[in-house]
Amino acid sequence: MIFVAKAALAVAGTVAAAGVYTLHDGVAQVDVDDHHGTHVHIWAPAAIVPMAMHVVPKRELHKFPHEAQQAIPILRVVAKELENYPNTEFVEVRDSNTHVRVRTVGTKVVVDVVDPETKVHVACPLAMIQDMVESLKDMREDDDSAPTV
Amino acid sequence: MYDRIRRIPAVALIAGALALMPISGSAQNSAKSSDTASRDRWLHVRVENPDSKDELVRVNIPLDLAEKILPTIDKDNFHNGHVKIDHFDCNGVDFPALLSAVRDAKDGEFVTVQSKEQDVRVAKQGNYFLVHVVDKEKSSKDKDAKPSRVEVRIPMKVVDALFSGKKDEVDLVAGLHALALQGDTELVSVKDHEQTVRVWLDSKNISD
Repeated sequence: MIFVAKAALAVAGTVAAAGVYTLHDGVAQVDVDDHHGTHVHIWAPAAIVPMAMHVVPKRELHKFPHEAQQAIPILRVVAKELENYPNTEFVEVRDSNTHVRVRTVGTKVVVDVVDPETKVHVACPLAMIQDMVESLKDMREDDDSAPTV
Repeated sequence: MYDRIRRIPAVALIAGALALMPISGSAQNSAKSSDTASRDRWLHVRVENPDSKDELVRVNIPLDLAEKILPTIDKDNFHNGHVKIDHFDCNGVDFPALLSAVRDAKDGEFVTVQSKEQDVRVAKQGNYFLVHVVDKEKSSKDKDAKPSRVEVRIPMKVVDALFSGKKDEVDLVAGLHALALQGDTELVSVKDHEQTVRVWLDSKNISD
């Protein structure tokens, strides 16, 4: 009985450690609420997003628009450099109806858009963006180096 | 055997603590980098509507960040931090030589235009290249309206750096680098009856 309890404690400890590891990059958050009844709330551990990219079929990733592929080197530098500017407001646009903010909060980049119809809040850990960009870059390099038949 | 099993939860807890360590480490790094960032040079843009306090645009960009991002952009005429100017026609005027002549010239006014519609003044003053435009067209129609004013004040070193590359290119990265070496300065000011625009450089990461 004691053996089972100790084994359960060990498993619980390992699960806790795995949980801490999964969450140590933070949580990516997307919230969309509009006045037509749409409410989308996604909270995902940042560490699983780059992992999930490895199981996405390559043909789907090839549908990535050319413009988005051009943005990869820019995103790579931005995600790396923004770590040097925690808690900084980069852009704020406000008029009588709309309020847009782009800022960093700690190690996350946060975009908020509020207008009378919709409220959008996106928070992405910079580490997650870096991992994603590296994965996309590696995939592109693999494609470039693949022999053509 | 039992000893080893007894150690597993402890090992798991230590592993958990180790996994948490990067969080506290990154918090310390954030504080350090925040100090570094506060010493950086920031370009601010602010657009306000004097009649409506609800309308506001604020942009705060660290020059260091802009210097690193610009070379990664590769689109149309924009390559490696340089903007290629197609059909750069100066009607036979050697633009770098003209800039060199302006740089070497003493302080003074180069162009002064005064008309009913607008006044334009282009001058060099204390190593700054100045352009002042006063648009009187609206104020002549509506006596209550104040004339629109545009004031551009660019350090000569920045102008030199912008045109330090090939003849048909503007080197934005060199321009930003030269700008980062300048003290706090207001670069552009636009005031009209609808909005005010300010572009300035300082070492604060927020615009007041």
